[in-house]
Amino acid sequence: MTSLIIRAKELLENKTVQVVIGYEAGPTGVARPAFITDPAKAESLIYDERCVQNLAVYLTKREVKNIGKMAIVATLPVMRSIMMLISEQQLFADNIVVLGISADGKLLDIADNKVMQGYIEKSDLSNPEKYKGLLTEFNKLSPEEKFLYWQKELSKCIKCYACRQACPMCYCTRCTVEVNQPQWIPVKANTHGNMEWHILRAMHLAGRCISCGECGRACPVGIPCHLLTMHLTDQVYNYFKVYAGTSEKMSSVLSTYEPNDKESFII
Amino acid sequence: MARIGVFICHCGENISATVDCGKVAETIGKLKHVAYSTEYKYMCSDPGQTLIKDAIKEHKLTGVVVSACSPRMHEPTFRKACAEAGLNPFLCEMANLREHCSWVHEKNELTTQKAIDIVRTQVEKVKLNSALQPIKVPVTKTAMVIGGGIAGIQAALDIANTGHKVVMIERSPSIGGHMSQLSETFPTLDCSQCILTPRMVEVAQHPNITLYTYAEVESVEGFIGNFKVKIRKKAKSLDEKICTGCGLCTTKCPQKKIPNEFEQGMGMRPAIYVPFPQAVPNRPVIDKEHCTYYIKGKCKICEVVCPTKAIRFDQPDEILDLEIGAIVVATGFDIKHADFFPEYGYGKYKDIIDGLQFERMASASGPTSGEIRRPSDGQVPKNIVFIACAGSRDPAKGIAYCSKICCMYTAKHAMLYKHKVHEGRAHVFYMDIRSGGKNYDEFVRRAIEEDHVNYIRGRVSTVFERDGKLIVKGVDTLLGAQPVEIVADMVVLATAGVANAGAEDLAQKLHVSYDQHKFFAEAHPKLKPVETNTAGIFLAGACQNPKDIPDAVSQASGSAVKVAALFSQDMLTREPLVAVVNRYAPPMYSTCVGCFLCQSVCPYQAIEREEFKNREGKVVKTVAKINEGLCQGCGTCVALCRSKSIDLLGYSNNQVHAEVMALLNEY
Ligand SMILES: Cc1cc2nc3c(=O)[nH]c(=O)nc-3n(C[C@H](O)[C@H](O)[C@H](O)COP(=O)(O)OP(=O)(O)OC[C@H]3O[C@@H](n4cnc5c(N)ncnc54)[C@H](O)[C@@H]3O)c2cc1C
Ligand code: SF4
Ligand code: SF4
Ligand code: SF4
Ligand code: SF4
Ligand code: SF4
Repeated sequence: MTSLIIRAKELLENKTVQVVIGYEAGPTGVARPAFITDPAKAESLIYDERCVQNLAVYLTKREVKNIGKMAIVATLPVMRSIMMLISEQQLFADNIVVLGISADGKLLDIADNKVMQGYIEKSDLSNPEKYKGLLTEFNKLSPEEKFLYWQKELSKCIKCYACRQACPMCYCTRCTVEVNQPQWIPVKANTHGNMEWHILRAMHLAGRCISCGECGRACPVGIPCHLLTMHLTDQVYNYFKVYAGTSEKMSSVLSTYEPNDKESFII
Repeated sequence: MARIGVFICHCGENISATVDCGKVAETIGKLKHVAYSTEYKYMCSDPGQTLIKDAIKEHKLTGVVVSACSPRMHEPTFRKACAEAGLNPFLCEMANLREHCSWVHEKNELTTQKAIDIVRTQVEKVKLNSALQPIKVPVTKTAMVIGGGIAGIQAALDIANTGHKVVMIERSPSIGGHMSQLSETFPTLDCSQCILTPRMVEVAQHPNITLYTYAEVESVEGFIGNFKVKIRKKAKSLDEKICTGCGLCTTKCPQKKIPNEFEQGMGMRPAIYVPFPQAVPNRPVIDKEHCTYYIKGKCKICEVVCPTKAIRFDQPDEILDLEIGAIVVATGFDIKHADFFPEYGYGKYKDIIDGLQFERMASASGPTSGEIRRPSDGQVPKNIVFIACAGSRDPAKGIAYCSKICCMYTAKHAMLYKHKVHEGRAHVFYMDIRSGGKNYDEFVRRAIEEDHVNYIRGRVSTVFERDGKLIVKGVDTLLGAQPVEIVADMVVLATAGVANAGAEDLAQKLHVSYDQHKFFAEAHPKLKPVETNTAGIFLAGACQNPKDIPDAVSQASGSAVKVAALFSQDMLTREPLVAVVNRYAPPMYSTCVGCFLCQSVCPYQAIEREEFKNREGKVVKTVAKINEGLCQGCGTCVALCRSKSIDLLGYSNNQVHAEVMALLNEY
């Protein structure tokens, strides 16, 4: 994508940013994240169907943040992640340049966050098409069947926490599972403890998950854990008509109260 | 090594009737780290407390679990006893065996087992308790009284007379409240205005009282001794300092047909008006909704005629910031109006009025100059029917409570009518006559025996109009539910007393609880009737439930004493059960990531930001910090924080975990 390369080079050359976060082809041709600090290396940037990872996860990493101002190649989920990170004060609007990529892979002109907000608001924010079928199927199950399904799936979990590491919203410097005073979530991987971990992760992402699907994609044993958070995304939308990551000023649905909030879940 | 003492209380028979207290004490006594375990009939009694104190000393206890009632009442008692024996009071915990066990279960093995389990959790918890020190906060010695009815007036005067400053906020243009509308008052039939007006004037002139009328509370933040209040002083469109209260403007205003609120809609007033002649302050306000200038952009006749040029059309609302130490809520009540009683024809027939309208009619300064004349044609009614409990004690109407004042004022109304219309007949339909109170029943007897008011025990089913007369149909239950029909010229409904408009909104601003009828809730129905659940906020008068003047005044004086007691201290001590955000030595600082989601969830605005700077002064990390003065220890933030960076002192994650584990593990 020449337009992307030209833009990245320009930003680095005129020192608007100190690093461009994007994709490059790895030795076997698989796309991998690239952190370009030298304008001459901008050439290696790519953008095509291989580039699926949500790069926003790097925006909160100390090693990247400390380089300086960042530019990032951003598809819709990345843009929504950015909005969430700004609203949760993990990122500052003046510290980032967004190299937006449209749904059909074109470089967008995102001058500032207002423009980005406009773009997000115009987009379909419901869960991605490819997961909708599964979610609908899943919704048809009875609570008992759902429980059995997850029990079976989660018994495979090895507690590697790749799902957490891949998620842009799991930026905590100390995750609850690392708390050992007291140890609420057991360290060892067993079905019961794995379920506790996943219920906790899902609750932490309720109303915050931006439906990128990274967590499920990262799982080495193929657990579709993204379905849990995406299901909650649907629920939160049904109750409060809010999708996460739509503006940098949005307040977290589950930690704020509006007098007209539906309270049908209170019995 | 922990040495825990456990004290099982029988609570008379409240606990021991279903729980085998001996067995609980014995079983607990065998647990590891329990150095002493015993039972006693009344732990809260003096001998009971001595038992605890002696055991602390004798067995060198490091923690105490009193297994008794709800901590709400007696936790302070037992903590104090521990402190007297030299144990830090926060090393004492209560296990609630009464509400959580004995009262809700039958006598059997399982009930006793549950009691043992409850005590076990507290034993595990108390082992992890730490000795906490009370928090000290300063007190701002200025009180705010919200509402200038008789209750508010009394509270303000009493507080002011103890030498403390008082700010009174009244939302209408004058203080006085409902009492200023009353004609004569039961049980003495003295003139309401005559006893009230001097008090109103005293408020206005008292050097310690600042009065803001036409003002409302905008927001309240802070906590006992340290409230930060914003007041909206609505624009009166008038410079009060220049206006002499001559009233010329009110006579020249072309808008003359606005229903007069003070006269309960039975008279008219102009758009610039003083609500009633004895109003305090005696200065007019412009009702912007009805003023020709504000509606059409021209008129300004008042401005032209005002001799001192006091009218200010462009006056904005003013917001005042006040520092307040204690608040007395005295916002009063209202009565149900039209549309609530379609079956009684209220709102449909002009000659059916409510109690307050009757008061105005009977008042010498009222729209009929004190004569009882029916609204439709001004005739003096020959037959008048009073219906008590119009809406009250009627669960079907959603008001199950007794409005308390209606029996008495209905007797008063019937009497006043008889005193004014000697040949007239007065009938009262009632459910029961509730006349408890000094000289109250005598008052009602006087109405029946001396003034020959016809009391009929029974409810009215309908009221309808026939040939210009009102037909009141009901039953006389003392005559075996015999139907009665009275042809009346006028009907007076003693409609239910209800919460004032805006009470819910105000309660939410103040963070005080209210009941399902939107009346403000007291902290304890018997022992804390003037306190609210929010420390430093007290109640006075009918905002709590409908009540008469003597009750409103006594309660006002009660709350004034509470305020004075609070102001007698320079520093307040608060329980140190507050949340803390963890801190570690550099370079870790804190596990808090500064997401500030806890900030939006905290109901008391207690969470602030704290910046960590490096040696060059550059901010390297921003984390949450809890203001221990504001935090109420509700724990909401603890539950919300994903990284578990907040802990609640006295209820730490570790302690709660230990309680849960105690229940899960064998012992
Ligand atoms: C028909 C009738 C007859 C009665 N006759 C008698 C009698 O003969 N004898 C007797 O003892 N009692 C009588 N009462 C009862 C008596 O009226 C009450 O006991 C008394 O008025 C209660 O006083 P209060 O100050 O609590 O409330 P109120 O008189 O209601 O005063 C409340 C004040 O607070 C103000 N306010 C309300 N909300 C706000 C707000 N949000 N901010 C600021 N200010 C606010 C109001 O404008 C008002 O001035 C009668 C009541 C009725 C309805
Ligand atoms: S889909 Fe998974 S990775 Fe993406 S935001 Fe949601 S929880 Fe995080
Ligand atoms: S699972 Fe929860 S605590 Fe752990 S990193 Fe994600 S949001 Fe933070
Ligand atoms: S990535 Fe998969 S295996 Fe690893 S913790 Fe998450 S669900 Fe478990
Ligand atoms: S919720 Fe937790 S991590 Fe977030 S700011 Fe508050 S204390 Fe810090
Ligand atoms: S415990 Fe937390 S949420 Fe509750 S008042 Fe204190 S700081 Fe606020």
